[in-house]
Amino acid sequence: MDNVQDVFQETPQDVFRPPPMWRVFLREHWLHLLIVAVLIVLPHAIGWITGDSPFGRVRGSRVIMAGESTYWQAIFIEMFSLAVLVMSYNLMFGFTGVISFGHALFFGIGGYAVGIVVQYWDVDPNLAFIAGVLLVIFITSILGLLIGLLSLRLRGIYFAIFTLAIAEMAWLYAGSWRLTRGEDGLTINRLPEWIDPERSRLMVYYIGLALFVTAFLVIRRLVRSPAGAVFQAIRENEDRAKAIGYNTLRYKLLSIVVASVLAGLAGILMGILNKSARPELLGVTYTVDALLITIIGGVGTLAGPVVGTAGLHLLELWVRDSSIILSLNLGLFEFTLNFSQDWILIIGVVFVVVVLVFPYGLVGTWYRLRARVGDWWERRRATT
Amino acid sequence: MSAPLLRVREIDAFIEQFHILEDVTFDVPDGGITVLLGRNGAGKTTTLRSVLGMTSVTSGDIEYNGQSIVGKKTHTIAQMGIGYVPEHRAIFSELTVQENLRIAARHKDDLPRNIEMIFTLFPDLKRLYQLQGGNLSGGQQQMLAIARALVPDNRLLLIDEPSEGLAPVIIEQVIAAIKALAETKTVLLVEQNFRVASQLADNYVIMDHGQSVAHGVMASLSQDDEIVQRYLGVGMH
Repeated sequence: MDNVQDVFQETPQDVFRPPPMWRVFLREHWLHLLIVAVLIVLPHAIGWITGDSPFGRVRGSRVIMAGESTYWQAIFIEMFSLAVLVMSYNLMFGFTGVISFGHALFFGIGGYAVGIVVQYWDVDPNLAFIAGVLLVIFITSILGLLIGLLSLRLRGIYFAIFTLAIAEMAWLYAGSWRLTRGEDGLTINRLPEWIDPERSRLMVYYIGLALFVTAFLVIRRLVRSPAGAVFQAIRENEDRAKAIGYNTLRYKLLSIVVASVLAGLAGILMGILNKSARPELLGVTYTVDALLITIIGGVGTLAGPVVGTAGLHLLELWVRDSSIILSLNLGLFEFTLNFSQDWILIIGVVFVVVVLVFPYGLVGTWYRLRARVGDWWERRRATT
Repeated sequence: MSAPLLRVREIDAFIEQFHILEDVTFDVPDGGITVLLGRNGAGKTTTLRSVLGMTSVTSGDIEYNGQSIVGKKTHTIAQMGIGYVPEHRAIFSELTVQENLRIAARHKDDLPRNIEMIFTLFPDLKRLYQLQGGNLSGGQQQMLAIARALVPDNRLLLIDEPSEGLAPVIIEQVIAAIKALAETKTVLLVEQNFRVASQLADNYVIMDHGQSVAHGVMASLSQDDEIVQRYLGVGMH
């Protein structure tokens, strides 16, 4: 609040004196730019450090995806997909206050729709793939709109249960249909070369990065716009937003449709990476993951979902990979904790601790702490 | 006498199975302040919410500016020029003062056009412009809630219990502000504090057990001890 004094003396229209554009941009985005730059360089940097080419290893006449760099590329592609899923969930749940338990429906539709088009439509793979992506955008936006319309009648937990029912239904059907290859899942092996993770993983990595950055910018633009303020007003009190004169349904639909399409695109990326679409993509696990990561990262913050996804994903990777075994001998009982086997227990404990120590999520608590320190500093300066 | 701005005719309203309003009938004349008086649970807040379509009216009619608004959607009614200041200082606590005001604008130029008027009424808000609503004091939040209803060019303001839970000195400020804004707008006020109501209002409507039981000019009510005793309890200053 360094401009309280200015506000006091001037009318609000005069308060805003814009400094040069590039300085505003740099001051606001230096961290974003740094992260994107690191992510662009990352596969090459890992390749350079470990000596494994980021393009994979040559075996005779073929290139296979082996080595450290391609291994980490796969991990980051999965992280990009999850981050987009969580960010989209946060747009709906964190910013607009709509709780859905069926968000994985859109994630799964992304994987399945592209898979079905690519596998069954006997045309040029490039054409099939692009048609699949467009189909996903179409289906997810229509379905998001329909489910969003139901939020007019169903509020809060009833809406959440309804979405859960729809997603579980899709999960059951996907597991039993011939078209989706039942529980085995649909193998996706007719991808064009440029997006096949077994042939050009680095390209998939950069496409994933582009999707991640685009999703972040779209959500950021949306929540910083006037519509974003209405989203937050709806989250705080929908009746109040209506009483001001807002057709809140329209804003909720906007939020739900954008979230649905982004989740669908994230699902495409996951389907490509796994080269298959399995019923798990539609399962409640992905929705719960998105919900938990949103809470752990910081509900209604832009960076929360990203920090939460990266933190948990890397933590899980480390715990599952570690060879730590803790043993506690109490005479009668012997208690052993094997990190790589009991990883889910470890993650659970971390969840509990994070929620207790960071009640507003990692990013949310950090923002509050920073604001409080700032306030304290201002008051100290004002009194001395 | 000109036609009333708001005509409420024999409305009935339910909340779940409870019959809250029964045959409520009153007029709000164009201009000035009309106050809804009555004990707790008499149906005053429900009446305001019914006007805005937030509680559904099962029978009867509400006319605003000659047009029936029963059954219309809340946001449509609000857009016709009715501002609502709910009880408990209903601001958006996570938005700043500026965002709270900006979100209320219906046209781009609403806020720039009315901001000087708002700052004249509530000079405090100018100082607090960039602060989050949740960090404001109770009185400041009440002022922000009223200010929010002044951003668009509303003709009628529904204000619910503006003095509730505020310190006497703040109440004086709120009274002065409502008096000032009533020079250009019509106000329908719900107020428990009889002293506040009698300072502010031109007309009164008394509600009791979900019915409108008396109405008239405020100045005459202050003299009429019998009605005051019967419907508003005893010992009202």
